[in-house]
Amino acid sequence: MPTLSFKPRVPVFDANIRVGDTPDTPSPCRSRAELLAEMDFHGVQRAVIYHAHTEATSPIAGNERLEQWLGDDGRLVPQWSVLPTAESLAQVEALYAQGRVRCVRLHDTRPAGLPFRCWAYAGLLSWLSEAGIPAWIPLPDADADALVTTLQAYPRLVTVLVGAHYTHALWVRPLLRALPTAYLELSRYEPIGELEALRDEFGARRLVYGSWHTRYAMGPMLFYLHHTDLSDEELALVCAGNLERILSGEGVR
Amino acid sequence: MIDGVQVIDFHAHVGRMDRYGMQDDATMMLRAMDMAGIDRACVFHIFYPDGTSSNDLTARFVAQHPDRFIGFAYVSPLMPERMIPELTRAIDELGLAAIKLYPPYVAGQDFSQAPWDPIYQFANERGLTIIIHTGEDAPPKHLSVIAPRYPKANFVAGHSGNTPVERAQGIAAVQANANVYLETCSTFRTPGVIEQLVNEAGAERVLFGTDMPLMDPRPQLGKVITARISDEAKRMILGENARRLLGL
Repeated sequence: MPTLSFKPRVPVFDANIRVGDTPDTPSPCRSRAELLAEMDFHGVQRAVIYHAHTEATSPIAGNERLEQWLGDDGRLVPQWSVLPTAESLAQVEALYAQGRVRCVRLHDTRPAGLPFRCWAYAGLLSWLSEAGIPAWIPLPDADADALVTTLQAYPRLVTVLVGAHYTHALWVRPLLRALPTAYLELSRYEPIGELEALRDEFGARRLVYGSWHTRYAMGPMLFYLHHTDLSDEELALVCAGNLERILSGEGVR
Repeated sequence: MIDGVQVIDFHAHVGRMDRYGMQDDATMMLRAMDMAGIDRACVFHIFYPDGTSSNDLTARFVAQHPDRFIGFAYVSPLMPERMIPELTRAIDELGLAAIKLYPPYVAGQDFSQAPWDPIYQFANERGLTIIIHTGEDAPPKHLSVIAPRYPKANFVAGHSGNTPVERAQGIAAVQANANVYLETCSTFRTPGVIEQLVNEAGAERVLFGTDMPLMDPRPQLGKVITARISDEAKRMILGENARRLLGL
């Protein structure tokens, strides 16, 4: 039963934190120290982070700005953003050669007219699949048909579908059925009772906790996860275990 | 019940929106409420402009679990001749406790304009509370117009305006009027929102809401529980303010 204060009872590894300012919104966490303090307040030990600049303007420049957030204590895991251009791919390949790529985030090219289709993304997706690098794909502006058609051509590519909303309620289950190596990140997926229903249909191993801080407050979804009928074992998988497995290259079940 | 506070959700729905997975399954709603410690939920149906169809569905839903659900009445200026007779019926015969309004369904007019006045007058005469959807599609700045004209009615800005500019309008309306309140449910779970409402409007003017069953109530409760505010503020937001407004 809930109380007026809350701390998680399992280790937490947040799969989705955005750092840095966007052109129109200064971040509420202005530094690595402030972010770590926020994580400590909510009982979050580690997080995968990407830079806001990679979404708003440039993956290449944003990746450069991510460096200053990383530190050397291992609490913040970099997520490099990428789009299907030679320069972007070269940047991430160079990081990979240094052993610094555990996951990437696909930059949305649809506003510029490039759809998420094999003919446009084949080079990038082939490389990710062969290298065993999992890809985070934001759902808010995605095309469901393009996602399924394209990703089914890369059956060993592990993806984490990020930011599903209640307005995606008709998509989510068909996507997870059609894409067996896809995981669902939960930062803003709030249809009533759906978390338990997804666990029942797909298993807790397909669900990944993320807050999408600083777009969203860090605590609410973590609180939600702790007030379901998930077992402690399932809760531990969703809050950290599944992400650990994905980042270790063991996301293909 | 959470730490001795009777938790009251001030914003929940009756009805279906299948494309978003919303269905008013009382069993499912109660299950989520029980897991979160939510004792009671205020529910309203807003999909029929005649009001009667909506209010009958609300009353029927509440009758299944009258100890857990509190019904609010709905009417619309799209059918102005029905507003007062239906409000009278809904409050006096169906026993609904307050009023919900949804301005985005009434195109071309804001909720401070004359067609809405009979509703406010009705609430003013009876000392009722009205919760009004607010956001970019229904800016809460209009509360600053109507609240002083109807001082015996209480006005609640649903979603607290949702987005930053509108949230600031809602806070300004609270600061200027003793009969305006802010309700918390929103998919915009921006960091620091609950803290802003408490610091700028006062915890005694903030009401917990969820938008259930469009959304699960548990993340919405988590917004309040995990906010950097005092336990006393949480108690007021989660239940004490709603009890006072509804006379429970």
